[in-house]
Amino acid sequence: MSDSSHSPAAGHAAEESKFAAYVQIAMLLAVITGVEIAVIGLPFAKWLLVSVLVVLSAVKFMFVIFYFMHLRWDKVFCTILFFIGLILAGGTMWALLQLFSTENSVPLSVAVNTLADLSRLG
Amino acid sequence: MTSQAATGAIDHHHDHTTSTGIPNKKLLMWAFLASDCMFFGTLISTHLIYRLHPPAGNPVPRQIFDIPLTSFSTFILLMSSLMMALAVNAIQKGNLKSMRFSLLTTILFGAIFLGCQVFEFNNFVFEHHMTITNSILGTTFFTLTGTHGTHVAIGVLWLGLMYVRSYKSATGEGLWLTTALHVVALVAAVLLSMKLVLSVVWGLQAHGFSGATLAGVASAQWLVIVGALIAYSALRWFARPAGPVQFDQSNAVDVESMGLYWHFVDIVWIVIFTAVYLLEYL
Repeated sequence: MSDSSHSPAAGHAAEESKFAAYVQIAMLLAVITGVEIAVIGLPFAKWLLVSVLVVLSAVKFMFVIFYFMHLRWDKVFCTILFFIGLILAGGTMWALLQLFSTENSVPLSVAVNTLADLSRLG
Repeated sequence: MTSQAATGAIDHHHDHTTSTGIPNKKLLMWAFLASDCMFFGTLISTHLIYRLHPPAGNPVPRQIFDIPLTSFSTFILLMSSLMMALAVNAIQKGNLKSMRFSLLTTILFGAIFLGCQVFEFNNFVFEHHMTITNSILGTTFFTLTGTHGTHVAIGVLWLGLMYVRSYKSATGEGLWLTTALHVVALVAAVLLSMKLVLSVVWGLQAHGFSGATLAGVASAQWLVIVGALIAYSALRWFARPAGPVQFDQSNAVDVESMGLYWHFVDIVWIVIFTAVYLLEYL
């Protein structure tokens, strides 16, 4: 790195830009939260709305970990370490939801209630 | 001599004295947060699994959730993350005054979030009769959001301790008693303020906005008001200029590690807000 990057003026400018970046990111996160709340009222297909909400949440998540938590500026090992936990947690969630969303996973009490409802309707 | 030593600046993102190049405290925190991801992953999964097949007689989330309140909580937590990032930025520049202000604001936002959660839980239990034991939804919801709230409460306490730590005298005279009283004053100020605000909100809910309602709350909570005023006066007294302190840029890694924990609490809420609240409205 050149010596100029360590000059007080350059350092001051970098810190000022970091401050501005933090404020802008916080405003962006607030706007995304507003969009999320607006999205749930839209008359679109459920799968589309779920996808939009998941993407918006993921964007907020990434902004926080890479900027507010400094992963962008830290050693890549921190990112790897955190993503090991994140991927394990995400994988477990995905596996459990797949497992329990199959027809055979419906609890018997719920299945009996559903059948009773259907017979009443029919 | 390294360029870092030559300029006298502290490189806050790399530590050349460790084999990984990462400050050990920060590495420990990242490892803890990775494990906490799995902890919250299982709690969120459990809630979602039971929401896939809700048993008969369960409360209907859409009828009891209060999205405006939860959205407000989410906004408050996001802003607390901003203030935490600014606190870290300030101490990395050696700006102690700015760091203290940002920490206090983060504590305030954390306390508001906890107050909203107390209000929400109170509403669910006494208005909608959903407790942690009388329905599956209550069990999974209170366990998940209660665990998150506990994390927030621990974070607020940690922030308070760091704030008090920043006043540690360089001479070290009368240290333990002053520190203990400072912590007590800060905790009392936060708890009594929360109690007072919640009393006002509940009073307004029950009797509507009027001078008589506020006077009634003030007379019922006069001890809380006096206690809060004493606590705030003590905080003001402890914050007076009192010579050099043992807290500077070299402590930035401590504030940053605490900040990582606080931001993690925020990202967990980002997921909970979508998975537990918003998805119910589709």
